[in-house]
Amino acid sequence: MMLKLFKEIRKTGCGTVGYPYAPLDLPKGYRGKPSHDEAACIACGACAVACPPNAISMELSSEQDQITWAINYGRCVFCGRCEEVCPTFAVKLSEEFELAVMSKDDLEESCAYPVATCARCGKPYASAKEIDYARRVLAQAGGGEAAGGGAPAAASEAPGAPAASAGSPADVAASLSKIGLCLECRRRDDGVAAVRHAPAQGGALC
Amino acid sequence: MTRKEAAKVRPGQTHVEAVRDTFPGAVLDVARQAEDQVTITIPADMLPDVVEFLYYGRDGWLPNMVGNDERPLNGRYALYYLLSMEGADPSFVTVRAEVDPSTREFPSVTPRVPACVWSEREVRDMFGLAPVGLPDERRLVLPDDWPDDLYPLRKDSMDYRRRPAPATDVENYSFLYEGDVEETTEVPMGPLHITSDEPGHFRLFVEGEEIVDADYRLFYVHRGMEKVAESRLSYDAVTFLADRICGICGCAHSVAYAESVERAQGIEVPLRAQYIRTILLEVERLHSHLLNLGLVCHYCGFDTGFQHFFRVREKAMDLAELLTGARKTYGLNLIGGVRRDILEDQKMATVRLVRELRGDVEALVDMLLSTANFESRTAGIGRLDPKAARDFSPVGPVARGCGFARDVRFNHPFDGYAHLEGFGVRTHDGCDVQSRTLVRIEEFMDSLSMIEQLLDGAPAGPVLTEGWTYAPHKFALGYTEAPRGEDMHWAMAGDNQKCYRWRAKAATYSNWPVLRHMFRGNTVADAAIIVGSIDPCYSCTDRVTVVDVNKRTETVLTKSQLESYCRRRTHSPLKGRGDA
Repeated sequence: MMLKLFKEIRKTGCGTVGYPYAPLDLPKGYRGKPSHDEAACIACGACAVACPPNAISMELSSEQDQITWAINYGRCVFCGRCEEVCPTFAVKLSEEFELAVMSKDDLEESCAYPVATCARCGKPYASAKEIDYARRVLAQAGGGEAAGGGAPAAASEAPGAPAASAGSPADVAASLSKIGLCLECRRRDDGVAAVRHAPAQGGALC
Repeated sequence: MTRKEAAKVRPGQTHVEAVRDTFPGAVLDVARQAEDQVTITIPADMLPDVVEFLYYGRDGWLPNMVGNDERPLNGRYALYYLLSMEGADPSFVTVRAEVDPSTREFPSVTPRVPACVWSEREVRDMFGLAPVGLPDERRLVLPDDWPDDLYPLRKDSMDYRRRPAPATDVENYSFLYEGDVEETTEVPMGPLHITSDEPGHFRLFVEGEEIVDADYRLFYVHRGMEKVAESRLSYDAVTFLADRICGICGCAHSVAYAESVERAQGIEVPLRAQYIRTILLEVERLHSHLLNLGLVCHYCGFDTGFQHFFRVREKAMDLAELLTGARKTYGLNLIGGVRRDILEDQKMATVRLVRELRGDVEALVDMLLSTANFESRTAGIGRLDPKAARDFSPVGPVARGCGFARDVRFNHPFDGYAHLEGFGVRTHDGCDVQSRTLVRIEEFMDSLSMIEQLLDGAPAGPVLTEGWTYAPHKFALGYTEAPRGEDMHWAMAGDNQKCYRWRAKAATYSNWPVLRHMFRGNTVADAAIIVGSIDPCYSCTDRVTVVDVNKRTETVLTKSQLESYCRRRTHSPLKGRGDA
């Protein structure tokens, strides 16, 4: 038995790896620290909704002029749901895994985005970048001017946007014309339009 | 066979008929949740009779009993005694009874079926439902400083974010002595040690060297996960919380949760996803069994073996990292399937690692088995009387080491296990630490072959089903065979995209109640290896040293005595580090 043991030890040789003095081999698809591309992010909040442990949060400032995207790496479970749901590929799980810090506050990162106000009533209603993104997606769907600016690839790869499936250029144009309005103003417009068209469509609108 | 006959023999039906025949008029309602799951509703006062009949009369085992506050649904509380029928007609039969919200009492089943003891104590803690006739009146889950009239899992009880003010400053739990020797020495172990992240408080009642009886208290770090899942998470995010139940068998929990919801909602999981889940479950078994085998070496004083098992275990961790992107098999399950496919190059790398593991572990096991200490430290040690095992429904290698062929992979084949060929339940009948270890060794080798067979057999196709209809208040069981035994999850969906009730039963929950039976008749020096042999989910027991024994009572062993004794017998290398 002793002999077998010595043989095994000899066969094994060095059982440890060079890390931390040499880089560690990580497999493809390793799920490390989520990295946030603040330029590509449109502050839509999809990641904050999907995040199971509430590591990612979205908070509106008290003046309602800024929305803050924030991540707490202390809460993160590295599941990568944020990466899956992000429409602009702004969140990606990196290969970074050395997250230890001396102070807990250093585990938090945040980034603030301006909030757009309604063209009619002036109330803040959504992240300005998100509206801009929607505008570009609609333009793309309507075959109009090609999307420019920050995230052209993202805009062309967003077939899931509702307007794109809505179809006709007229629909797209209608959506584009309403994009600067808040939900409440849009609802009011829809209501007014419904009343106006109700007799023609048999009054079946609700 | 005609259609009608086929319908007649649906799994579990014979048990329902048997209950009907034996107890005329007792069955108020029969509902089927899944092909292999049926729930019968009976009056609460029939509980002891019906559960006993199914348990002892028809080869039933009891994984758990679930309490549920159904006052918002039907005005009453409900109890679900989950029975795994493992003889003829294998299936899950759940016995449901409603409890009157004004009396809040039901007859305890524990005097007839001891396996109910922890569940019934827990239902009293969490819902304030009193099991009349339950011999053990102590709290199980709630701490001593918890107010008397606050029951956390009642729907109207509390905001889960606020902890109530402490009701007492001192620990007032009483440890029960059931032995018949008059004069014993009490040896407290725990509850806290600086290196122990999972505390437990043990009391060994010893006569000289021999342990006469033992009692223990756990749940010091109860995390209230079930409440959090009900109140904060949407039902489809709970898989990620279920992962975190255990640092070792997380995937087993999240698969069990996901499948309980999928069965209840009738969601078809793609076959490929079922295979992938099975592969991940077996990868978990690999690293968990290697961990336990390493610890067995350590307890036998064969610390070189311990180091080598841990070195080889690293390959099992690499395997998990390769397949899931994380060192642990976490975060892969969604309701409806899995999030990652296994690609061709990953398959190749997996096959290579599996082959390496087989060679490495065969050599190490050979060494462990030929170590003289292995035989002397494990054979006949920590004997669990098969009768006690039958009474308390232990799971995993603890049950299989007693000769009981209990393994949900084979008793109730699910996922990829239904398609495997040439495997069976591994049992040994020595009832001791050695048998449990041998079961683990054989299962480890089986797991390697299973992974190879599953990789080859996995059909191509999607790995996730999306777009199902969600129906509130449906419930079902989800189960997996974690390395330590079955994980049993019971989930009922709510009408707000959340769990109405989620009950997660980890394997070790079923194994703790029999531990005192294993302790009896052994020496103090064997206590650690016995606890280690149930491979408790709380893995730090061996590092817990005696705390301030001199201040406890006049009859306890001194710390230095116990320590030197432990060191002499186990050569624990953790000792010096743990005491620093």
